[in-house]
Amino acid sequence: MIHLQNINKYIDSRFQRVFILKEIELTIEQGDFVTLMGPSGVGKSTLLNIIGLLDEDYEGEYTFEGKSIKAMKDRQRSALHKSEFGYIFQAYHLIDELTVYENIETPLLYRNVSSAERKSIIAELLDRFNMVAKKDLFPEQLSGGQQQLVGVARAIAGKPKVLLADEPTGNLHSAQAKEIMEVFQELNREGTTIIQATHSRENADYGHRLIEMMDGKIYQEVSI
Amino acid sequence: MWKNYFTISIRNLAKRKLYAGINILGLTIAIVSFLAISLYIYHEWNYDKMYSGHDRIYKVNQEFSSGGEGQMVSTSPSALVPAVLEDIPEVETGTVIFDISIFSTVLISGEELSVEESKFAYADHNFFNVFDFGLLEGSPESALAEPNQLVLTETTARRYFGDSRGTVGKTLKVESGEYTVSAVMEDFPSNSHLDFDFLASFKSHRHGREPEWSPSNYYSYIKLTQGADPAGLNPKMEQLVEKYLGETQRNYNFQTAMHLQPVTDIHLRGDGLQGVKPGSDIKYIYIFGIVAILLIFIGIINYVNLATAEATERNKEVGLRKVMGAERGQLFNQFISESFILSAFGVVFSLALLALMGYKFEEISGVPMQIGLLFTPWGIGFLLVLLLMVALLAGMYPAVILSGMDPLKALGKKTKLGGGAWLRKSLVVIQFFISIGLLIATMIVKQQLDYMQSVNLGYDKEQLISINTHHKMMETIPSLKSELTRKGLASSASLAADMPIYIKGGYAIQAGFDNTKEISITGYAVDADVVRTIGAEIIAGNDFTEQDINRNTAFETGEELNIILNESAVRELGWTPEEAVGKKVQAGTPARVKAVVGDFYFNSLHHKVGPLMIFIDQGQTNLLLVRLAKGNPSEHLANLEETWKRLVPDRPFNYRFVDQEYAQLYQSEARVGTIFSLFAGIAVVIACMGLFGLVSYVALRRTREISIRKVLGASGSDVLKLLSADFFVLLALSAGLAVAFGLWFSGQWLSGFANRAVIPLWIYPAAILVVALISFLTIGYRTVTVFVRRPAETLKDD
Repeated sequence: MIHLQNINKYIDSRFQRVFILKEIELTIEQGDFVTLMGPSGVGKSTLLNIIGLLDEDYEGEYTFEGKSIKAMKDRQRSALHKSEFGYIFQAYHLIDELTVYENIETPLLYRNVSSAERKSIIAELLDRFNMVAKKDLFPEQLSGGQQQLVGVARAIAGKPKVLLADEPTGNLHSAQAKEIMEVFQELNREGTTIIQATHSRENADYGHRLIEMMDGKIYQEVSI
Repeated sequence: MWKNYFTISIRNLAKRKLYAGINILGLTIAIVSFLAISLYIYHEWNYDKMYSGHDRIYKVNQEFSSGGEGQMVSTSPSALVPAVLEDIPEVETGTVIFDISIFSTVLISGEELSVEESKFAYADHNFFNVFDFGLLEGSPESALAEPNQLVLTETTARRYFGDSRGTVGKTLKVESGEYTVSAVMEDFPSNSHLDFDFLASFKSHRHGREPEWSPSNYYSYIKLTQGADPAGLNPKMEQLVEKYLGETQRNYNFQTAMHLQPVTDIHLRGDGLQGVKPGSDIKYIYIFGIVAILLIFIGIINYVNLATAEATERNKEVGLRKVMGAERGQLFNQFISESFILSAFGVVFSLALLALMGYKFEEISGVPMQIGLLFTPWGIGFLLVLLLMVALLAGMYPAVILSGMDPLKALGKKTKLGGGAWLRKSLVVIQFFISIGLLIATMIVKQQLDYMQSVNLGYDKEQLISINTHHKMMETIPSLKSELTRKGLASSASLAADMPIYIKGGYAIQAGFDNTKEISITGYAVDADVVRTIGAEIIAGNDFTEQDINRNTAFETGEELNIILNESAVRELGWTPEEAVGKKVQAGTPARVKAVVGDFYFNSLHHKVGPLMIFIDQGQTNLLLVRLAKGNPSEHLANLEETWKRLVPDRPFNYRFVDQEYAQLYQSEARVGTIFSLFAGIAVVIACMGLFGLVSYVALRRTREISIRKVLGASGSDVLKLLSADFFVLLALSAGLAVAFGLWFSGQWLSGFANRAVIPLWIYPAAILVVALISFLTIGYRTVTVFVRRPAETLKDD
């Protein structure tokens, strides 16, 4: 499904070239649950951004379902981004001005989903994450774990094929983290491809593949 | 989708109250000013467009010349229109109006009310064919057809009879004649150049029954047939003048030309020609139009400035939305909807404000605020277009900036928007420029107005009153005059045809061997006491005495008429004042220069002092000028009235202060001045609100920096310097531009006046200083609020 070939990303300073990603070769199949691990600054987030079509400033070949990303027009790329990817952030990044319900609704609005359909999708998600009672609250009224649940709900509302999660549990304590990871596992079982970046070995255990990164390179891959 | 945009926008605005408040207030003030000026311009622009076929109606003005420069007058002979109707087939109809109030007031007596009326005119039977005003009662064909008919306006009818209905057939006494009310018409609209309370049938007047080619005291209007070319009428007019006046012209050595003036030009392009109402000037319409647009721009600039400054605060939201799949167009729509909401608030509040405060503007501008016009389909369309324009102009740039942000950068640490800063700075420069420029313009206008009020006119207009007289009371005048001086109420009094502020009579005199040198001259008919009464100065020769004969006697007996010339007349005739005394001239009748009086302004200050001839002719006078004695004027006036009532029991005591009338002359200029200062003030206020908002954002964004500086020992004034330095560079730049504009404007504005104030240079730094000071206070206030926050609080986040 996702095929990365010789991906390089670097910053040129006056005397030297600093690589953020170097010679990345990676293939991810549909239904994979991949964990990117490694210390801070190793390039995990950058790699996620490239995969998620948020960063176009790199060298190398990226194909998604056989189609070359670089060859696509902006419009196609943005359509692909909209339909296939969902994002979850470490700092949740909910919109403060919107209620739980409206936060989940936002991606659906941008996908031109009809009002009736939106209602049923959101109702289903709220139900699934036990947040029906909280649907009219604003993010600041929720605990971190609950906020991240909203983040997850929002990410999967558009029914993406790929879920990208950058340190999804970094701001949570262990019980909350466990809950989120169990949700991930369940989503994966239902067929969603998940790629997460994390420091935590425990989180990695929920996935199938563990890719360890070091200095912008893939250091080794472990199957779980 | 749009519904969602709107909910989000409203919540965003509710959260950023300061931001929303400043924007709405700024837009409201800008829009309300714009609407008020628009209504004003609409009113003025539509002057005299309410008559059907108004584009075919022309006023006939007359140009006299006798050698020298021609003199244009707005009146013409009563025989003109009948002759035109007979001789020129392209003229469909025409009417003659005789505005008697040029000469004197008219005493109207009803059963209960007896008033000295000034809005009284005679009009011939075609009046309603040319000006199709609506009649509430009576028929337009017969209303002015017979002698002693009287048409009242609705208000007048109510004033005299308590009710406008059922007044037809009732009678009123006009002076001593009995008139029957033949019709009641709607009141003259405020934007018709005609404005009367009474229209009497012209047949009631001698010149209406027997049209004559002299005198020229009447307003003539003609309406052309459909498709007739007004320019093609000129040769026919010339032929007509030749046919009826040719011989007289050659005998008396003068030329007359008739000029057609579109009725819709009378108000705005009247060139100072006398009319029923004082006219305005198209120049003012343009100036106000520009001011209105400038004000809207200042409001919009506020919005753009604040919104782009605020963009730095909202980048996270934008980034998130993009990551969730928002397309640029969708985000653009969201931000536009925000500006749309703010503008809509602006429009709604403006309408409310206009409804509440409109009467104030009415007082200032003298033009009714027809707010109802804004709720007609056209008005609503206008408001919607305005709303759309403001929302788009204001929202476009911020929306482009915000929707174009890179999501990755936006989600990262706080970013600065580099490109926006440049634009923001230019916009601030424009705002400052407009504010300072308008202030400078206001001060220039004021300087000229003050100059006109304080200039030495060459006579003394203070403590001088003018009382209406009537030719029937001429015998009483000498005893009245001596009574006034004897009782110590007046130091002097004199009959006169006009107040010295505006003398109208046009004459020509010839001088030199064989009377070869001829000049046009203004004539002032008075009695012997006028020079001392108005306080003018004799610079050569001797003032009139009671022994000097009047012009009529001179005509009849052929005796020499003594006249007084002013300095300008003497200069134009090529004499010094001393030489002039005793010189013989031809002034319709043989005359001798008895004295020379120093130049005084007897005309609008728009014009230079021209030649003036003063002669005695009580028959032409209709005013008694009275120089009040020293002491309490109101006491004198009370005694004066009592004396008057005793000596002239049948005429009401009706007086005006000459200095107040003088101020009236410059009413339209004074209004321009007031309106100008009002909107200049408003511009400064809006601009400073924008500045306040902008400084607030800068201060908030730099809160952390300020706190660190404070920890390191910076004082409040250091921080103030830090925050204001940028703005003062911009202010200096704008000030330079504004001064250049001011210099240009003063040239433009003053070119309309023959007598100009010297504009002192201090007004430039003064205007700049005012704006600088207000800006400084604004920045200072904001700095203090940031500075007093505890560093421990502001720094702990990071």
